[in-house]
Amino acid sequence: MYAVAFGIMASAAGLTTAEAALISGWVNAGGAQMASLQAWTTPVSLVAVCLTTLAMNARYLLMGATLRPWFHGLPARQVYPSLFVMGDATWTMALREREEGRTDAAFLLGAGLVMWVVWVAGTAAGHVFGSVLGSPERLGLDFMMAAFFAALAVPFLRSSKSLVPFAVGVLVAVVVDRLVPGPWSILGGALAGSVAGTVYSDDPAR
Amino acid sequence: MILHADVLVAILAMGVASYLCRVGGYVLMGYVVLTPRVETWLKAIPVALIGAILGPIAARGGPTEWLGLATAIVMMRLSGNDLVSAVAAMGVVAIVRAIS
Repeated sequence: MYAVAFGIMASAAGLTTAEAALISGWVNAGGAQMASLQAWTTPVSLVAVCLTTLAMNARYLLMGATLRPWFHGLPARQVYPSLFVMGDATWTMALREREEGRTDAAFLLGAGLVMWVVWVAGTAAGHVFGSVLGSPERLGLDFMMAAFFAALAVPFLRSSKSLVPFAVGVLVAVVVDRLVPGPWSILGGALAGSVAGTVYSDDPAR
Repeated sequence: MILHADVLVAILAMGVASYLCRVGGYVLMGYVVLTPRVETWLKAIPVALIGAILGPIAARGGPTEWLGLATAIVMMRLSGNDLVSAVAAMGVVAIVRAIS
């Protein structure tokens, strides 16, 4: 379903079906793809979309790190393809499998491959669907991404630790957006917000 | 099958960036220990990025967009499902645009 949603967003952002399917197959990271579409301009800014992808996928650094004790000792040809298909859901499922004593490391690859096929096919279907719907504004499709991120913010903000990075991210992005239009507000806000959150949580007085 | 050259280059680079993140943590763990401060920073990036996406949308938008964002937040609290919340918010925006 997220794949279909991404396909519709990609069509609203002006990408072709082949481009949308290629992003899903090659980048294979829902949040990063949606955030990059938000930073998408014509012509597209290479630096902006890559930095957005890095920022949204930074959590994969932590997820990959947690797999080290489990995957250590496996041949590289098994580890690296597994990491390519690793996603939030498959990583969570794989760790749960391991907690329950099923230590087959191929689980991540198998689950990941299934998710990958669904993800690419769903994107293409969503894109075709989005193109035939016609005027994206009339149906609120241009608002879909904003709505998604607003919904995503809710579970994050249940943790008080997230309040500072979120609030600083909002404020800095609004200011940067006033000064330089384009994708830079997203990156400036993300950087300022995450650094502010780190400094704040380090403060022993809190 | 239409592919634009600049889009193609951007997508390929995004994929490399994405894969670097996936592999980076795994590879680095073999050499260094992640300090708590770096870990806190990495964890804080996604929520800061979400804030940075929403801020300008809210600031540039008008009452219609604010109502849409509020709908998404309220629906998320009620349903706990982001897909349902996003579709509901889109619906509200589409309806308001249709009648205004």
